[in-house]
Amino acid sequence: MKNRFLPWLYGEQDVMDRMAENVESPDMTRSELKKITRSVEEEYKNRPDVLEAIGRSRSRFRRLYLAVALISCVALTLVLLYTISLMPRYGEENPRTKEVVSRYVEEGLQETGAVNIVSGMILDYRAFDTLGESHVLFTALVCVLILLRIDTKNQMTGYEDYYTVRTDSYFDLSGDPILRLVCAVIIPCVLLYGIYIILNGQNSPGGGFSGGAVLGAGLILFSTAFGFDKVDRLFSLKVSNIVTFVSLAFYSFAKGYVFFMGANGLDAHIPKGTPGAIFSGGMILPLDIAVGCVVGCTMFGFYSLFRRGSVGGQL
Amino acid sequence: MGEWIRFWIVAAILMCGIIAFIMATVGVLRFGFVMNRMHASGIGDSLGLGCVVIAMIVASGLNLASLKLLLLILFMWLTSPVSTHFLSTIEINTNPFIRRHVRIVSDESGTVDSKKGMR
Repeated sequence: MKNRFLPWLYGEQDVMDRMAENVESPDMTRSELKKITRSVEEEYKNRPDVLEAIGRSRSRFRRLYLAVALISCVALTLVLLYTISLMPRYGEENPRTKEVVSRYVEEGLQETGAVNIVSGMILDYRAFDTLGESHVLFTALVCVLILLRIDTKNQMTGYEDYYTVRTDSYFDLSGDPILRLVCAVIIPCVLLYGIYIILNGQNSPGGGFSGGAVLGAGLILFSTAFGFDKVDRLFSLKVSNIVTFVSLAFYSFAKGYVFFMGANGLDAHIPKGTPGAIFSGGMILPLDIAVGCVVGCTMFGFYSLFRRGSVGGQL
Repeated sequence: MGEWIRFWIVAAILMCGIIAFIMATVGVLRFGFVMNRMHASGIGDSLGLGCVVIAMIVASGLNLASLKLLLLILFMWLTSPVSTHFLSTIEINTNPFIRRHVRIVSDESGTVDSKKGMR
């Protein structure tokens, strides 16, 4: 007992270690891949001029890379240090920050109509910043779409079937009765909760980003439990594109209107409502809905693209 | 007096929950095999979380917040066994040395097929 217990206690040896020794891995793909790379390397061994050219260009590229990296790092450091030197010292009385913060806290409720002051800040005072954030999400989705989408062109390699379909079948949980039953109970609650977070963003902690994340998680759960076919009926690539585009366009229009009308936004035509009600806070509720739609589409789009290389099933 | 009784009840239930969480943490860190670790973490997910949340319900009394806490317990107790079930299923289907660790009771052929085992 001493021989096995003490090493296990100090983490030197695992109880199960001895049982899994000297067993070959059954996965043959790795050895096949090694064989292919070795044959390519041997082919180039007979061509010293090619190898030399590759080495030369590599070293030249490496030197250039190093120089550019160094210069950009130093430049960025200098710029940041200069910016920091312009900032007020920590703990010092600073009229700018002091006035802005007190203005938010004291008059935020009257000016924005939102009980939740964070919501009033990010969707009213600083709504342009939030517009940029939702565009960042959209850009990320587009980048993932460019990188991971499987279309008819890159399907010709013949590896998709082997890698995606074969490994995916191990982790395909759809059709399991336990998961289906639990998800049938939970998914409506999750989606309802996400909608509640979005609609109640101006009154309680939450808003478009967190509510959209909950909505996206509900869609992911749905696709895990019932398969992608069921989700595709509701949420195809077309629907995703339309929802994302309409949300972003509406947001951009609302904020562009503010700029061209001299900070007199659409809020001017919408009554603020009583604070605490769902229809209150002027433009905050529609903007929250727009942000929530974008975030939900992005979440589910990421999952779907990483999982099977397409949104909505169409190639 | 009533406040003191409530405080000591809350403290006792909270301590039970914390002990369960400590057991779960030690088990997750010390066990070597996935199934053992899952077994250990299940203590924290069910008993530990239940004790802590029930202590909070006792502390806050009967109101809307305690109803939300009750829903939290319900959600966790509903979802945690399902995720554990799938972790174990995937472990059985993907680990080639699974038979060295556990005995798999299978109905017909003696092998757990990736399709048959799950459906």
